[in-house]
Amino acid sequence: MTIEQQRQGLAFSGSGHPTDQESLRFRRVSSRMSTQIYHEPNSSTSLAQEEEQSGSEPTLELRNTVFPMALKKAARQVQQMQVPAQFNGGSWKQKRIKFVRQFKSNVREFLYFFSLWGKTLQKIGGRNLVYASKQPQRLRPRWQTLLSLTGNFGGGVQSYFIFLRFLVILNFVSFLLIAGFVLIPSIVFRSVGIKPESSKADVSSECLKYDPNPQGLVVFYEFFLDLLSGTGFMEYSYLFYGYYNNSVIVTSLVGSHFSYNIPLAYLLTAVFYFAFCLICIIVRMGKAARVAVTTGGSDVRSYSMIVFTGWDYGCLGSKATKLKQRNIYYRLQVDLEEERLKKHAASLTLCNKVTLHSLRVLMFFVAVGLIVATFLAIARATTFSQENSHVPGILGLFYTYLPSIVITLGNFLVPLLCDQIALLEKYPPSATVVVALLRAVVLRLVSLGILLFTLWKQIMCHDSRDKCNLCHYNHEDYQCWETSVGQEMYKLTLFDLLVSIALLVLVEFPRRMVVDHWSCKLTQWVGRQEFVVPSNVLGLVYGQTVVWTGALFCPLLPLINTVKFVILFYCKKITLFYNCRPALRTFRSTSSAIFFLAVLLFGWILALVVMIYSVAVIHPSFACGPFRSFFRMWKIVPESFSTLPEGARDFLFFIGSQAFSIPLFAISCVFMCYFIALASIYGKSVAMLRAQLKLAGQDKQFLVKQIEKMKPLSPQHNEGEQD
Amino acid sequence: MGNKQTIFTDEQLDAYQDCTFFTRKEILRLHSRYHELAPHLVPMDYTNEPDCKLPLALIVDMPELKENPFRNRIVESFSEDGMGNLSFNEFVDMFSVLSEMAPRELKAIYAFKIYDYNVDNYLCKEDLEKTLNKLTKEELTPEEVELVCEKAIEEADLDGDNKLSYADFENMITRAPDFLSTFHIRI
Repeated sequence: MTIEQQRQGLAFSGSGHPTDQESLRFRRVSSRMSTQIYHEPNSSTSLAQEEEQSGSEPTLELRNTVFPMALKKAARQVQQMQVPAQFNGGSWKQKRIKFVRQFKSNVREFLYFFSLWGKTLQKIGGRNLVYASKQPQRLRPRWQTLLSLTGNFGGGVQSYFIFLRFLVILNFVSFLLIAGFVLIPSIVFRSVGIKPESSKADVSSECLKYDPNPQGLVVFYEFFLDLLSGTGFMEYSYLFYGYYNNSVIVTSLVGSHFSYNIPLAYLLTAVFYFAFCLICIIVRMGKAARVAVTTGGSDVRSYSMIVFTGWDYGCLGSKATKLKQRNIYYRLQVDLEEERLKKHAASLTLCNKVTLHSLRVLMFFVAVGLIVATFLAIARATTFSQENSHVPGILGLFYTYLPSIVITLGNFLVPLLCDQIALLEKYPPSATVVVALLRAVVLRLVSLGILLFTLWKQIMCHDSRDKCNLCHYNHEDYQCWETSVGQEMYKLTLFDLLVSIALLVLVEFPRRMVVDHWSCKLTQWVGRQEFVVPSNVLGLVYGQTVVWTGALFCPLLPLINTVKFVILFYCKKITLFYNCRPALRTFRSTSSAIFFLAVLLFGWILALVVMIYSVAVIHPSFACGPFRSFFRMWKIVPESFSTLPEGARDFLFFIGSQAFSIPLFAISCVFMCYFIALASIYGKSVAMLRAQLKLAGQDKQFLVKQIEKMKPLSPQHNEGEQD
Repeated sequence: MGNKQTIFTDEQLDAYQDCTFFTRKEILRLHSRYHELAPHLVPMDYTNEPDCKLPLALIVDMPELKENPFRNRIVESFSEDGMGNLSFNEFVDMFSVLSEMAPRELKAIYAFKIYDYNVDNYLCKEDLEKTLNKLTKEELTPEEVELVCEKAIEEADLDGDNKLSYADFENMITRAPDFLSTFHIRI
């Protein structure tokens, strides 16, 4: 046999890893087809293994083979003829396996139909549904033009919408939790007529004053102002903490033993809500991390990835094709640019390096200065707003919304300025993106922290000590401070939504109309909007952090947030399809999924700190809420604990004691070490296998060279030796 | 099925269902698409397995393939004679491999065939250069093309022979998270 055929055999036997034995077998006289059939099960391991495990002979999954169709049909006929000769169970097993597979795919399609916004997400990502192809002929051309018009927005934009969907479901389930344990019992008890117990603490009547209901006639526009700022008729309602009572019901009728402790339920629901959100985020992070690890990170092997997997074969239409080509060109340029920069940086003189680094340090301080200036502005705005909260009318509304306005302005302007700074810093492109993201994250989350810190300062009267002497908190300005905090969070959420809708209507639609219908240099330079994924995702994280912070003080906030995110989904979808052009720069979705979840986790930690502080450090209001008679919100737990039966108490004491927790800690350390060792072993075995592959390839080359050497020596002996 | 069709026998449809990833309806639809390409060449009655092949020029005119830079190579890889003339069997085979349900290994084998321009079972530098030029419509300068091809081979080549064998290619493909979804033509 010639060298060519040998190489073909070596390169193309079924498993792809040719060994000597396989190539020998390959050159035997037996028909090529039968040897290939023998090898094929190695390549379709997943499905063939299913057949093998069922105990029957390794039957072939014909559709997974690489033969031309005629050969497949012939092989199938051979299989069909073999079936009656086998044990009857064999063919029955095959039919059962086929039936199960068909059933699974049907169930998957059916469930997909119910998945929230599944079709929209597919359309945005550019992947098409399997069963959408069953549309009648006359509808198909229109659907295809829609696809070619919208183009493929790519995985980055799709990941934003998937993240949004995750948050909607999270908020909705949390609302169900809160409704089930706090809201509905409160409604039931209030409707039954159970009155709240007044505070038993020994305090002056000043602290017990709480009068949220509006006095006298209410002008009709006050209704809207109250709706927007959570005051007036909205303040003393199920929306805020102040309306809930500290009812503790214990009934011991004959046969039934019903007891319900609303304050305890309120606190424990809040704790479980946080725990539930944490578990969801971590599970999701685990899934994303698994994908990132198996693909080995998107930075490595970028050139070969782009060349071989960059083209989307489903791309239809000349516009989409051109866009895809420009996209691939741009990605390659980015990588080539990084190479150039690396070479350039390596060739800089010492003087240049020093100037570059000092410039970077200077720009870093400028950026930090901008961010700190924003924080000071927010603190000042919050203090001003709290001082002037009793101004009536539209001006009053403006004052109450002042913190939200300042935060939104800051979050809009400062990243723009930081982008300009980044131009001077001349980091490589990937580092620029990371630095910009970090700055935006710090700005968003810490500005919220500053707002809360300023509020806390006012409630605990850090500036004027005398106000807090009577009731341990500032009862003059805040008769029910929890409700005030809840109102701030409510206003932030509402303002966020209003700004998004206003931007959509007042900025994005007009921009598209101007760009489409009026062509001049300026409009062409500005161009249609691009959907910027990172800033949108950070907006979502910010909104969710606000909800987490405010959930303790405004139990209906998760519901409001669900509605807000649903509206946001449709608004963003509309703006994506009508106003945005597909982005030239695609956003890497695999590594960014983990990054966004990490930022979400950071927001969760911020909200947790606020909750812990409110529960354990600040005195609850005397005049309102479920904790009005407690020294700290947390005190309800030890008190309820003492009413537990003896056995449960002892058990819980034991769990909290050192005799249990130290062995538990030791065991979890052992498990962690085990998993770390396992992970390192897998990494080492991957590296070892890769080295083995290299060696096998080198061995192959060596053997081919040896064969070539031996050929001119004795052409007659060749056949004998090789066989 | 409710409707009586006379294009294929039931036995043939069963065979197609077993050998591809399509259902009966989809196979019939594929046949109508195949027929549309050349109504006077393609018979409506396939029960006696007519030997009818459509030339490359007609197949690459389909809207799904028209804008694809690799359309010629795709059709050539699935044709038995290597010249791009597809019979209906090969036509169905092509779209079956490119459908959503084909497994990764099968797609990787055919992707390798597609990118292998000189059909020597290796992806050498010339193959990569041609692929890259088709991808970017020749907008990169020759030096850039050379650099990218060198780096791509450097990244994926495991056995150090300066060209990519199928093993190298498959190893690289397993790390591509969206290979399955990009190597997919919906019909």
